[in-house]
Amino acid sequence: MKRTLVVCALVSAWMVAMQHDPAVAETPLGLPTVVHPSDNAPSDAKIALGKQLYFDARLSVDDKVSCASCHDPKKGWSNGEATASGVGGQRGGRSAPTVLNTTYQRFQFWDGRADTLEQQALGPIANPIEMNLPIDAAVKKLSAIEGYQKQFQAVFGSPVSAEGIGKAIAAFERTVLSGNAPYDKYKINKDESALSDSAKQGMKLFFGKANCSACHVGPNFTDNGFHNLGVGMKAEKPDLGRFEITKLEGDRGSFKTPSLRDIARSAPYMHDGSLATLEDVVEHYSKGGIANDYLDEEIFTLKLSGEDKAALVTFLNEGLSSSTYPDVSAPELP
Amino acid sequence: MKIFKFVFLFVAMAASSLCAQDGPAMNVIVGDLDNPCGIAIQPETGAIFVSDSGASRIVKIVDGKVEPVITDFPVDIYGKGPKYNIGPLGLLFIDQNTLVVGGGDLIDGEEKLRVYDLKDAKLPIKADQMKTSSVLAAAGEEVKGEGNFYALAKTADAIYITCNGDDNKGWVAKAGFKGSDVASIERYLATKEATQIDAPVGVTISPRGELVIGQMGEITVPNDSLLTFYDANSKEMLLNLKTNLHDITALAYSNRGQLYALDFAWSDTKQGGLFQLLADGDGVKTKKIVALDKPTAMAFDADGSLYVTVIGEEKKGQLIKIQPGL
Ligand code: HEC
Ligand code: HEC
Repeated sequence: MKRTLVVCALVSAWMVAMQHDPAVAETPLGLPTVVHPSDNAPSDAKIALGKQLYFDARLSVDDKVSCASCHDPKKGWSNGEATASGVGGQRGGRSAPTVLNTTYQRFQFWDGRADTLEQQALGPIANPIEMNLPIDAAVKKLSAIEGYQKQFQAVFGSPVSAEGIGKAIAAFERTVLSGNAPYDKYKINKDESALSDSAKQGMKLFFGKANCSACHVGPNFTDNGFHNLGVGMKAEKPDLGRFEITKLEGDRGSFKTPSLRDIARSAPYMHDGSLATLEDVVEHYSKGGIANDYLDEEIFTLKLSGEDKAALVTFLNEGLSSSTYPDVSAPELP
Repeated sequence: MKIFKFVFLFVAMAASSLCAQDGPAMNVIVGDLDNPCGIAIQPETGAIFVSDSGASRIVKIVDGKVEPVITDFPVDIYGKGPKYNIGPLGLLFIDQNTLVVGGGDLIDGEEKLRVYDLKDAKLPIKADQMKTSSVLAAAGEEVKGEGNFYALAKTADAIYITCNGDDNKGWVAKAGFKGSDVASIERYLATKEATQIDAPVGVTISPRGELVIGQMGEITVPNDSLLTFYDANSKEMLLNLKTNLHDITALAYSNRGQLYALDFAWSDTKQGGLFQLLADGDGVKTKKIVALDKPTAMAFDADGSLYVTVIGEEKKGQLIKIQPGL
């Protein structure tokens, strides 16, 4: 078994060199081609390694928490909870975003503090309230596992390293894509039957009167920017989001616009998980967000009827759910 | 076909650049403006007019001094910190005496495109003493009102105006003109629908007559500005290029046919400046000509000098002259 893996890895490395790229799966309808960093070309072996690491709880201090604990493919690649709990049940104040389509994001994290998936991946491992395993210790731990030793050699030509862990996980994450939704079939293939009448009405509202596309735009339904919707701003000590990174006054209480693809799967919503359902989200926008000095100018009271609201929810639910959702299961670990 | 078009559009941009390494010679003409946001050069006289936007007025520059020409525009605030007081924005002469002013001083839907007749006028005139004006009001629940008419450019018979009202559409508006009579402003080109990126801001007309738009993108997102060429008549998008600039505020062709952009760079203003845009394979590459502190507008005069407004420090906005040669 292990032997086969190595051979596999070599073969696929060769194929990459030959410009065939079996690792780069076909991009789902509606999404742009995934761009891989020049120093992290994908291969089947690298992606397989990244997938194992993603599901491997040994990357946490108590062997109990993996990336998948908080970004679970069965829960929309999030965790179904308002906030996330790491080792020892410790909770941070922010909700776990989905990993779907993160490859298309200009910034990672709600406050955009990481640029790339490679950069992001090592953060949670060492984070005291997530996996709490210092990176050096993680490297040591994996080095003691023969299967990983061999795979790192085969993929990177060097022993287990922090850099390799980051690259392999990122390469795997770049395969976690959500496209191929009824919306894409309607829009690109001009398939009128792809959307129900109510979803069509919701789509029209989304790109018009309801103003959603002012921010949720493009193939990944995000402008990649940061906005204040007032979420959490009434807290005693509000999370100031992007402001903590830029220190620009106007960024107070601003958070990254999330993608809305497969949004039906990743309740509850918003950076603090404070809105339980899509109905709640639409209601939040309909009443013009939560007033505060930094509320985005694109957030204002919408004159939505009950029918309008229901149609918007239908569009989000039906229209953006992928028919090729990456329902990945945990692989066999070395 | 695509490639052909590309070469075609870029001919003017392909020539080599000439700036010495230490940048072009430049000097500050005026240094106490308040959020200057627009420049126009008067035909025949060559006089420079500037939107002294935060001071709610339009001024003429005479021997390095400002002379108020149109005053008492209302004031609005742009941004949430930093915040900028804004009044009049884009300026354009369609003939020696007819000055068209894009407003930034009123709320969306009430914002005015004002037309002034300066002939024999006793200066300064009040902002509401315009010859004509028009608005892009909201219509029903579907159509949002427009505002912040940031920049203006003209062909032989039409003015194109970048707007910042409906963020789902990203309108560039149009107002036809005949002689010195300007027709009402109308919604023309939905740039956000075309490019999926926010905020058409910079606008110019290429030497070949194409409508060239600098799509600013999100102010919180670096490197997302686009350079887009449209057929001004058919509205067909001819080219849409990522520039890697942060926030394009202005575009202009020099007298030698070279294309330049100003980058405001909201999220890190130290990176802002004047850039030359050069054809590069299928894309565009930028060459920084000079760093500028929050540049907002520019215009070339008949001799090839470039005038640029920059916001700079509070109430120390500048009008800068860059010597001919660009
Ligand atoms: C304890 C729960 C937890 C674990 C374990 C965890 N994450 Fe996260 N993850 C989060 C939370 C919470 C955030 C958002 C934090 C923020 O924005 O400040 C996040 C953010 C991210 C993001 C950014 C997504 C976006 O849209 O901005 C990515 C990608 C990600 N995690 C991948 C991983 C990977 C890979 C691992 C394993 C190495 C991992 N996470 C482990 C909770 C977790
Ligand atoms: C001003 C920009 C803006 C507009 C307009 C906007 N959104 Fe959002 N949206 C955001 C941002 C930013 C967040 C995250 C905010 C936070 O957590 O504080 C968000 C979050 C969401 C979420 C939760 C996503 C998640 O993963 O938790 C949904 C669903 C959503 N928006 C749908 C909509 C709909 C539907 C509309 C139109 C009615 C809309 N948005 C209009 C910027 C916007």
